[in-house]
Amino acid sequence: MEFKKINIWYISSFLISLIVAIPIITVFTSFFDATSNYSSIIKDTFLYDYIFNSLFLLIGVLTLTFVIGVGCAYIVSFYKFPGVNFFKWALILSFAIPAYIYAYSLTAFFENFGTAFSILKNLFGEGNYNSFIPKFDGMLGAIISISFSLFGYVYVLTRASFHYQSQNLIELGKNLGFSRRKSFFKIILPSARPAIAAGLSLVAMETLSDFGSVSFFGLSTLTTGIYNAWISFDDLTLANRLSFYLLIFILGLFMLENFSRKKAQYHSPTKGGFKSKSPIILKGHKSYLAFSFCFVVFFLSFIFPVLQMLYWTIIFPKHFIDLNILELFFNTILLVFVSCCLLISLAFISNYGNRVSKSKILESLTAFSVSGYAIPGIILAVAFITFISWLDNRIINFLELDTIKPIFIGSILGLVLVYFIRFYSLACNGIKSGYLKINYSIDESSYLLGYSKFKTFTKIHIPYLKNSILLIGVLIAIEIIKELPITLIMRPFNFETFATTAYIFASQDLLEAAAAPSLFLILIASVFILFTSKYILKD
Amino acid sequence: MSVNFLEINNVTFAASEKNKVSNVSLNIENEGDVICLLGPSGIGKTTILRTIAGLEKVQSGKIFLKNKIISSKDIHIEPEKRNISLSFQDNCLFPHYNVIENIKFGAARNKTKEKNLTIEEVVKFLHLEHIVDKFPHEISSGEAQRASLARSLLSKPDLLLLDEPLSNVDQNFKEEIQVKLKKILNELKITTIIVTHDSYEAFYLGSKCGIILNGQLRQYDDPYNVYHFPNSVEVVNFLNRGILIPAKVTGENTLENNDLGTIKGNFIKHYPKGSDVQLLLQPEDLEHDDKSNLKLEVVDRKFRGTNFIYTLKTLSNLLIPVFVHSHHIHQHEVDEKFGIKRPINIDHIVCF
Repeated sequence: MEFKKINIWYISSFLISLIVAIPIITVFTSFFDATSNYSSIIKDTFLYDYIFNSLFLLIGVLTLTFVIGVGCAYIVSFYKFPGVNFFKWALILSFAIPAYIYAYSLTAFFENFGTAFSILKNLFGEGNYNSFIPKFDGMLGAIISISFSLFGYVYVLTRASFHYQSQNLIELGKNLGFSRRKSFFKIILPSARPAIAAGLSLVAMETLSDFGSVSFFGLSTLTTGIYNAWISFDDLTLANRLSFYLLIFILGLFMLENFSRKKAQYHSPTKGGFKSKSPIILKGHKSYLAFSFCFVVFFLSFIFPVLQMLYWTIIFPKHFIDLNILELFFNTILLVFVSCCLLISLAFISNYGNRVSKSKILESLTAFSVSGYAIPGIILAVAFITFISWLDNRIINFLELDTIKPIFIGSILGLVLVYFIRFYSLACNGIKSGYLKINYSIDESSYLLGYSKFKTFTKIHIPYLKNSILLIGVLIAIEIIKELPITLIMRPFNFETFATTAYIFASQDLLEAAAAPSLFLILIASVFILFTSKYILKD
Repeated sequence: MSVNFLEINNVTFAASEKNKVSNVSLNIENEGDVICLLGPSGIGKTTILRTIAGLEKVQSGKIFLKNKIISSKDIHIEPEKRNISLSFQDNCLFPHYNVIENIKFGAARNKTKEKNLTIEEVVKFLHLEHIVDKFPHEISSGEAQRASLARSLLSKPDLLLLDEPLSNVDQNFKEEIQVKLKKILNELKITTIIVTHDSYEAFYLGSKCGIILNGQLRQYDDPYNVYHFPNSVEVVNFLNRGILIPAKVTGENTLENNDLGTIKGNFIKHYPKGSDVQLLLQPEDLEHDDKSNLKLEVVDRKFRGTNFIYTLKTLSNLLIPVFVHSHHIHQHEVDEKFGIKRPINIDHIVCF
């Protein structure tokens, strides 16, 4: 009976999931609300553009991230060549580069009279270089920027899958007389399929909700459509409806992958049967090829944007000097710290509540609430504002209390709450995957040794999951440091972070001024990544 | 009010319909008694232990421990408040602590000042010295099982529940640990229920044995009686130590089998003369005698170290096991004839 499962953990978990689910419910429920005239205009004019561009962007990014991510993961997992240990962790530094900063760098380098022009001029003297320097703007620019900033998801997950593939599997291929190429396509790649799919799913969600780079390149996608519907035409319902389409789109992708996978199993958790792989030592031109591939990816994904931002910071020192670095740093770290603490502690409580109550209802509510990750940040922010306004107008007014809008809108609290909703799935799923490794009989052993549920939580689970907590904390920190649309919408007046400062300069076409805050953003994110690279690569 | 140390009163145990064991009643009379539960895999033996430990709820009936009700339809004392320790069959050591830290969890639980083992003693007795600093993923399943047993023993519970405690332990340690375990449980007066599928282990360790078959406790008695006086055909089949052959009761102390002739012995239950019965014939009931005129064909011979077990075929194609000491000089090959001493005398005759 469900009511017998209700205890303090159950209630806490239920409330947390409910809070996270509110904006999602708002998006779904407002689907049938009346829209403005803008809706029909959009339907007749831009809607197909939005859909087509989103689809094209998605296909482009997925293809490129697949090739780069899986390619790098395969090379560093199965081969030994000079620098392989360096590339194993260096390739994840791309996580520190948000797509919009990559977009600024790409434009700055290849634009007319940009950095590429300056280099050629310094090397070869004056010339009409602009005519043959390629231009990466519009759709191509967006695909490249997003791909190089997101391929890390595919790389990390695929590499972990390759890493845990047993040598037995490789030997099985040899035993069946497969060539190395055939082994790759018939055994290695298919057995890493869930990991690749998980990585690509994350890439798909991030791509469809990307705002910074597509708006910088002036590309009309569903996300920019949502933003315009709300900002330009004040049509929240249409914004929600477009989000709904976006969600359906993402859901369809998940279902397609699950359906095609059927009942195939990809993991054989054999404790004694696992044999670690001995990588193949590459020599001669093959070694150079492997090195070159990894180096080019590392250079393009990390070194290139860092150098571009560094170059501008050095040649335009005024912008750097004018920047209030301490304040921006403090603001960024404040948001990271408060959000991480809130997210991790509540995600922990929710997971533990689910674990001890074993309630199907609670499990379903949690599963529903974590889908917030698929909703673009813009929509979450808008839905949150809508909900607070509704609460203020209907409930608070009715009770004749003071308005609550200033507490939640344009405040640190409101901003952190929307971060909480946006990144809850990251925290919740991260802790959940840690919990999956703890056999339930461990809890039972603890009870039988006289530990209460609370003590089991504090003495057994938290120490066991401390590495997972650290990793999740850092992943959330990186996401928050890079996060743009929610911060832009929800931040208090005159409250800036490195991300918003960079965006504001870039949106005013002052790319050189955006360089210093971008550089600091990359620096902080890189420190976080380096700090936990060991765990990121392991998990 | 119960007067037994543990009383299970008409309890139905069920984690699922498949593992349901209904209407179980059994008592452990004195503190320090050790009983064993035997039964095939998946029958619900573990469910019984989990329910006594408080990890599952009873469907009906009552469980009393030290005169206090701990489980019933309405009362459920939480596992952490029962002072009952359960050592799981599978490795359930805390994965982020090494072996010695895991073991110390058990010692920390023991708040009594009664005589108990020291950590060093238990480590030595269970041969864990070489793995104390290792983590659970670095040790074998048998070692993990012994570490788990150590943790449970050190917690000095009111009731110790051991689920197949030595199933993964190497054969060379197994007998030694059985001996020491029995001694320790006895010395420390730790009341224990052991679940096992190994009848020899059960007969050795338990002062009583319960046989669980087809969702019911079919027999609960001391090991000698369980072996020699099984109370049902199912128990005979489960113990798999003898066979049932058809016979006709011909007198107060005699039966007649078409192939073996007259069989004499003491009936443990009265059957009227002329009754057709199934007689339990155990391997040690028949004696080898080359001079006998009752010759049966050898169809199989198993060497078991101290003895052979011959399987003999009768004229009516019954397959009968016969136990012979391995030092016996007359070895018989398959297809040879094997003499059986006549008349056949069985100490106690069990029929169904």
